[in-house]
Amino acid sequence: MKIIVPIKQVPETSNVKMDPETGTMVREGVESIINPLDLYAIEAAVSLKEEHGAEVIAISMGPVKAGLALKEAIAMGCDDGILLSDKAFAGADTWATSYVLAQAIKKIGAFDLILCGERATDGDTGQVGPGIAAWLDIPFHTYVSAIKELHSGHFVVERMVETGYEILEIDRPCLLTVVKEINYPRLPTLRGKQRARKMQNMVWGPADIEARGEYLGLPGSPTRVVKISKPQVARNGVILYPKDDKQVEEAVDQLLAFLEQKEIL
Amino acid sequence: MAKDQYSAVTPEIIAELEKILGKKWVISGDGDMDKLEPYSHDEIAEKSYAHLPDVVIKPRTAAEIAAVMKLANRANIPVTPRGAGSGLSGGAVPLYGGILLSFERMNNILEIDKDNLVIVVEPGVVTNDINAKLQDDGLWFAGYPMSVESCFIGGNVAEDAGGGKAVKYGVTSRYILGLEIVTPEGEILHLGGKNVKDVVGYNLLKLMVGSEGTLGIFTKIIIKLMPLPTEAVDLLVLFKDIESAIRMVPIIMTFGRIIPTAVEFMDKLSFQTSCKYLNEHMPYEQAGAMLLIEVDGNNFEQLEKEYETIGELCLEHGALEVYVADNHTTRERVWKIRRNIAEAFMVYSPVQSLEDIVVPVGNIAKILSEIEKIGEKYNILIPCYGHAGDGNLHATPVKKPEMDIAKWHRILPQLLLEIYQKTRTYGGTISGEHGIGHKRKNYLGESLEPTAIELMKRIKRSFDPNYILNPGKIFDL
Repeated sequence: MKIIVPIKQVPETSNVKMDPETGTMVREGVESIINPLDLYAIEAAVSLKEEHGAEVIAISMGPVKAGLALKEAIAMGCDDGILLSDKAFAGADTWATSYVLAQAIKKIGAFDLILCGERATDGDTGQVGPGIAAWLDIPFHTYVSAIKELHSGHFVVERMVETGYEILEIDRPCLLTVVKEINYPRLPTLRGKQRARKMQNMVWGPADIEARGEYLGLPGSPTRVVKISKPQVARNGVILYPKDDKQVEEAVDQLLAFLEQKEIL
Repeated sequence: MAKDQYSAVTPEIIAELEKILGKKWVISGDGDMDKLEPYSHDEIAEKSYAHLPDVVIKPRTAAEIAAVMKLANRANIPVTPRGAGSGLSGGAVPLYGGILLSFERMNNILEIDKDNLVIVVEPGVVTNDINAKLQDDGLWFAGYPMSVESCFIGGNVAEDAGGGKAVKYGVTSRYILGLEIVTPEGEILHLGGKNVKDVVGYNLLKLMVGSEGTLGIFTKIIIKLMPLPTEAVDLLVLFKDIESAIRMVPIIMTFGRIIPTAVEFMDKLSFQTSCKYLNEHMPYEQAGAMLLIEVDGNNFEQLEKEYETIGELCLEHGALEVYVADNHTTRERVWKIRRNIAEAFMVYSPVQSLEDIVVPVGNIAKILSEIEKIGEKYNILIPCYGHAGDGNLHATPVKKPEMDIAKWHRILPQLLLEIYQKTRTYGGTISGEHGIGHKRKNYLGESLEPTAIELMKRIKRSFDPNYILNPGKIFDL
């Protein structure tokens, strides 16, 4: 079985600073990490490999330093890493990104499964996974919370929906985007780190993946960022803390008055 | 000393305090005990260590504090200084009521002197804020306590706080160059300054650091800074048993020739409880002990070599697995296990006694096996975790939920005494970083010779002849 895991390197967002002028993130001095939700896709692939035997290839499009994310994926148990890095790729939206990743997957050749994270914590679109499937013209399921059965021609997966879970069959080869519920990502081990350090990531450019120049990077992206603005907090909640019975009565009156004012009562 | 030896806080005293500080900054409760309650305890969960103050004051200047101390001496009213209240020995508890002096308004960073690598702060500055402020300048205060999110620097100095990074960076006292102090009798005194070397006279500065708020009230603190390490890597190492984990500490330093930033130890009970609490699914079931080893520096390649050396040594000496955390996400994940042990046990049983013993590193395994026996004897749990790199262990007796509380109170003094006695047998001491306060004062003799205690009492009397400042701490006069 061959499994491909497209991953993204994202800024570590726990202490991000925003530029008040431009409304964009200050990337300087911010550490880059594997998109946290991609770790679940890596774990799913590596567990399948351990249980059933598989070759797991992590791929990523990004600047040269995104190679570090691939190294971390290898340290977690992926067999190989391919970096798609070229000036022509820069500024790509989800359409152009999924095109490049799909072209790279075509070049890798026959595969059984593509596993993606649910979405990236920076762009937050969740479009690249399904986009790759569309370019490759293969079936896909999003929000997969368990891979239940592996058959020669299809997989049985569990998909999380708002009202519960769906059990679905899907033909091989296919693409799945997975949610947090699917597993607990492992930490990289010393042996994994050492293996990753010895390996050289393959680096592919547009020519290597036979990409059409007009589909690449910012010029090839149909998305245009017109304006970035901070969402306004529209709700102004009021919390009442009554301490004794008298205050409880007052609080109830205030609550009723509030609900009437909002025309809820 | 008993409460009735002090005078009551009368309306006249309150009026005098209001005259010194302004009405707004004198909180007498006016019958509303809820206002005073937060100042009656520190982080010790056990309520019997708490005591309400009669009045809380929030001064802004050293001059105000000096005036308050003069009043307190004249009126015979005890004064207890208090930082953030994150202590673990009862040091900030107003044992005899009286005046509780809170530093919450004295929270300014006064000066960052980059030429001399020094920062001057007021005691109520949150220790974490110091490093946040210095980060952009590539500097930091390296005396890092574990309660970093909340504690005040004044409390850190009073307790000579240590913490996770003491193996490499030492504890608070190493970084305190100078202090402005209000003496117990109300004089303003300056000790030290910005000099790195200073041998003039007795070292009263060092005497103040770790004096647990009994010899003076700090109003200004001069701290030595260090260049901030830009990179850090953590190894989480699983061992089959305690002996093989502890044995690694000298091996890393002597064979590896590396002084790690931190070597944290967790016994099976500690990390299993914490991992379950955090829903952490690493394969910890087979492990009998864990080490969390951190290296830091300014060159990632160098750190890669160091952690590889340490990791290889661990594997050679029987480690079951070595995990590498070299980015923020994974480092947070492994440190969470260590940081959440106490919290995890609070969920299991909030009745516990967080201890702070220290033994020479070579004796850690021996004392741990003794502590295990004590736990079995009294049918309680004693998870052990802490700073293996410096021998400081938080052995924490925890009442099993089914045990009767009265029985727990009956056995606790006896079992603590047994732990302290065994600690002494192995060359150790009863507190490494939390302090004596009033929680451990009855056990002082387990760590100090009678002559030492007598000399300390004489020092206390010479600084505080009326026994006004934080009475009932460390020892009774």
